[in-house]
Amino acid sequence: MKRRLVWFVMVVILLSLVFVGQNAAVAQEPKYGGVLRWRAVNDPPKLDPAMATDTSSSRNVYLMFDMLVDNDPDGKSIVPRLAESWEASPDGKTWTFHLRKGVKFHKESLGKPTENGGREVTAHDWKYSFERLVKVNSPRAYFIDMVKGYQDFVDGKADEWVGIKVVDDYTLQFELDYPFSPFLSVLAYNSFVVVPKEDAEKWGKEFNFHPVGTGAFILERWDHDQRLVYRKNPDYWKKDEAGRQLPYLDGIEIVIIPDNTIAYEEFKKGNIDVLPAPPDEYYEEIKAQYSHLLQERPELGTYYYGFNNSKPPFKDNLKLRQAFNYAVDREAINELVIHGRYYPAKGILPPGIPGYNPNLRGYEYNPEKAKQLLAEAGFPDGITVDLNVNNDPRHTLISEAIQAQLKNLGININIKVLDWGVHLDLCERGETQMFRMGWVADYADPDNFLYVLLHSENHGSKGNYSFYSNPKVDEMLAAARVETDWDKRMKLYQEAEQMIVDDAPWLFLFHYTTSLLAQDWLKNMHLPAFGDYTTPLEVVWIEK
Amino acid sequence: MFSYIVRKMLYAVPVIWGVVTIVFILMTIVPGDPARLMMGQRGDPETLARIRADLGLDLPIHKQYTRFLKDLVKGDLGVSYRNNEKVVDALMTRFGATLKLAFWAMVLAALLGILAGVVSAVKQYSIFDYSAMFIAISGISAPVFWVGLLLLLIFAYTLHLVPGVGYVPGDWRYFILPVITLGVRPAALIARLTRSCMLEVLTQDYIRTARSKGLRERIVIMRHALKNALIPVVTIIGTQVAELLSGAVLTETIFAWPGVGRLAVEALIARDFPMIRGTVIFMAVIFLVANLIVDISYGFIDPRIRYD
Amino acid sequence: MAKKSRSSGLWYEAWLRFKRNKLALLGLFMAASVILIAIFASLIAPYDPVEQLIWTEGREVRLAPPSVKHWMGTDIYGRDILSRIIFGARISLQIGIFATIVSLLIGVPLGAIAGYMGGWVDDLISWLINVVFAFPFLLFVLAVIAVFQSPSLRVVYIAIGLVNWVGIARVVRAQFISLRDREFVEAAKALGLPRGKIIFKHILPNALAPVIVQATLGMGSIIMTEAGLAFLGFGAQPPTPSWGLMISEGQKYLSMGKWWWAIFPGLAIMYTVLAFNFLGDGLRDALDVRLKR
Repeated sequence: MKRRLVWFVMVVILLSLVFVGQNAAVAQEPKYGGVLRWRAVNDPPKLDPAMATDTSSSRNVYLMFDMLVDNDPDGKSIVPRLAESWEASPDGKTWTFHLRKGVKFHKESLGKPTENGGREVTAHDWKYSFERLVKVNSPRAYFIDMVKGYQDFVDGKADEWVGIKVVDDYTLQFELDYPFSPFLSVLAYNSFVVVPKEDAEKWGKEFNFHPVGTGAFILERWDHDQRLVYRKNPDYWKKDEAGRQLPYLDGIEIVIIPDNTIAYEEFKKGNIDVLPAPPDEYYEEIKAQYSHLLQERPELGTYYYGFNNSKPPFKDNLKLRQAFNYAVDREAINELVIHGRYYPAKGILPPGIPGYNPNLRGYEYNPEKAKQLLAEAGFPDGITVDLNVNNDPRHTLISEAIQAQLKNLGININIKVLDWGVHLDLCERGETQMFRMGWVADYADPDNFLYVLLHSENHGSKGNYSFYSNPKVDEMLAAARVETDWDKRMKLYQEAEQMIVDDAPWLFLFHYTTSLLAQDWLKNMHLPAFGDYTTPLEVVWIEK
Repeated sequence: MFSYIVRKMLYAVPVIWGVVTIVFILMTIVPGDPARLMMGQRGDPETLARIRADLGLDLPIHKQYTRFLKDLVKGDLGVSYRNNEKVVDALMTRFGATLKLAFWAMVLAALLGILAGVVSAVKQYSIFDYSAMFIAISGISAPVFWVGLLLLLIFAYTLHLVPGVGYVPGDWRYFILPVITLGVRPAALIARLTRSCMLEVLTQDYIRTARSKGLRERIVIMRHALKNALIPVVTIIGTQVAELLSGAVLTETIFAWPGVGRLAVEALIARDFPMIRGTVIFMAVIFLVANLIVDISYGFIDPRIRYD
Repeated sequence: MAKKSRSSGLWYEAWLRFKRNKLALLGLFMAASVILIAIFASLIAPYDPVEQLIWTEGREVRLAPPSVKHWMGTDIYGRDILSRIIFGARISLQIGIFATIVSLLIGVPLGAIAGYMGGWVDDLISWLINVVFAFPFLLFVLAVIAVFQSPSLRVVYIAIGLVNWVGIARVVRAQFISLRDREFVEAAKALGLPRGKIIFKHILPNALAPVIVQATLGMGSIIMTEAGLAFLGFGAQPPTPSWGLMISEGQKYLSMGKWWWAIFPGLAIMYTVLAFNFLGDGLRDALDVRLKR
């Protein structure tokens, strides 16, 4: 009897496995058609990729434009996009890209034919697009200032950017002043896309309102503060593994809903297909009821409070800085105040970025030790410190919790809530004691964190707001920039990070997560580590 | 009459100039660099300088000022730093939303306020009078953004009668709560004023005369009393337009209303100088025009007033 | 001498009229209660207004609904909302009083000079008053606050005062225009008294009543403005229990049905503003002042 039951159970399990397998196979067959409705919080400020520096703009740029290369969904490597392949010279100073053939610019935009008429993209267009970045003062052009001739071109001494060469119609070459290992990753940034000269010149600054690219979707209508309507690009270059034309969707609608409650309600009613970054206040409910629709993963970002290492009281007072680090209960804050949306951080590099070190020695919550260090640092009776925070509910929420925890040790925090502009101003001029800051990767390389935020060359506006400087660290980070051996580079970064963490130039706090709610009729939708706004939609289909 | 209007308009010119200049001064001394904000968190000083030059921020202050005045005279308010939108276009699209909101709020306020005020006056010391005046004074004393939240809590989040915040042109359900929120305060003020004016008028001789002539009470009230009592009410409606625009800043923020008020606050936070100037000048002009209209409308209501 | 007794008689009569006005007395009582609560906050409040109970008592005290222990519930940190509201009275009154002082310091002299001197001086000051009036009030305050680098309560009341003085100045100016040709002024002029003395010693005391009324009524609108600023994230810094800041922090949780964080502070604002409005109206009737708005 018993044995029969066992057999029966096994058969059932086997059968169900077969059925599940079959279902999965059926689900693999994509369907064409349908419009995906994606929620946005606000009107995107910039649709000109040269100018887009915020995530709401980037969401739109990714739909309409293509870079040479792309990040893979996990942020671990660089994959081809409009460049099919590439090679670097042994000295790391020359990069050659072989372009994909048959890529065409949008034939129309906003319901009207474009100037370029849907012609093919060549290397000349790439050269034009890169030079245009400088001409229109793109805030991101300097990311590749190591490409030869940048300065002369910027200063107007040269009428072309000589380091960018058109070898033939399908070969593009960059010559660098010095070997720069993260170069490839940088090219995956959303400003380094190709635009048609005819349209860009016709519209000038107005190109922002008449964007034309090569991407999977074409802008059809933009009702400011309400919606952006995209139609599929029938001539898109990309095909799926079975050779079917992408995208599957007929179109995308970016629906602007400023209010979180409404957006959530609309999602529940099914009027919205994707709700990126579901609101904190509903997060616990979502976890309980909609966990099957929730995608979530660590984002390549870090949330920290910087100490001003160039001014008292934090200057030359390692024990004081360490005391702060031991005094904060990151786990409890994350759980009780921000609904578990973050990961407590031990150091600088977020999980998911190459070089992330899970065995990093960080600071645990240890109020006893903090108290002792505080006394040893010369403040046995406590200390009062100003904390600058930019005006945002989540930031003030966290700051009040930290303020309360530090108060238990006699540390008084004066919170100053400031406009973002003022906040940045004060941080880069070093007129702070302690400040909130966050950093999300521009490109998936440790260089983007460690060099930008902590190398002494970048004091002030270039990113090192804590004015941290350690010659040893500087040296290692500079060496890592030009090191071409991957493993050696990663080792350098890990060592440098440990050294920095031991110096405690920041109060290390959290790593961001990225998340989205997607209806179950959306198939093949995968949230990348770079953040919800980079989710590729050309491969998504609707199965209703 | 015509010369009066012209004179009043000429008089508005130095006021506008003053507003413009004060905004300009405030924006030159305000901390926070717009070029920096365009670059985001990481800024290369050289690119920063080029963006500043591009925006004309590297010019000496007096040159920036004269340039700005010249453009203004030509009717050119510039282009937004934040999203390249022409300020005039942005104002035109957003003003529609604000105007709809303010207009219906004012209509609601005037209807409700005058009605409540008249009934309260006629039935002085009745329960209606007391409760209407209590509601009115509470309405004046409650912060507009809190009233908005309270209405949302009750009608949107609890009873689900209206959809909540947001702006969908043509969908009147989205208008209900913002209009009520914005209308509460002027309605209360109008009700109180109408009541006290009516009470004053009702004791006047000509009303007694009218009554003694045997005219029906309703006619006395509507034709004689109300008409005279309305003169100060019209004034308050005029001044309320200005307050309404200020109140719209908060109401629009709560209800995510794409109007001029929210535009102004966003511009201020983003240090979007052209947009800040544009919105403030625009609101000041609206204020002055509303006052002018009030002045002129006196003539129609009260023939005793002469424009000389 | 005779004049003095006449004016004190006026004040006495005003008090008699005030006493007969029920709403005015209610206003006086309400305002007094807010002031007493503010003064004795630390005695009345059941909890420390900034103490965060979640770290010791855990989730149960996070956003807990009103109960016997916490009459108005708790916020996300487990802070007692009632205690925060009680201490919040200090912030509101402080802002109300100091902003009024700033407006008086600017508005009274400018209004007096404009009204007394007339001519181009009057034109200039009137122009300034009109310019400030033409500004959207809240935006102007926001812009002035933005100019100061670090926000604090002091910045808030200075900014409000810098905008609010125009109402006072208008009232004073109108008073001075009607008083400047009176006999007692003419007499003082004939005696060759200095201008400053005439303005501040002789005319100003006679112009005081409307200023008091205007300032009292102004208290309410200042308190409301402060709340609005705090609501937008400008002004009082956390963890200061400013009522506007509490509404702003709590509004996110309204839609989840956790209404107590945002609703109770609004009631406190309403009560306080109501108090000063009743009081101001009562004073106006008692002092028989007609204000031009």
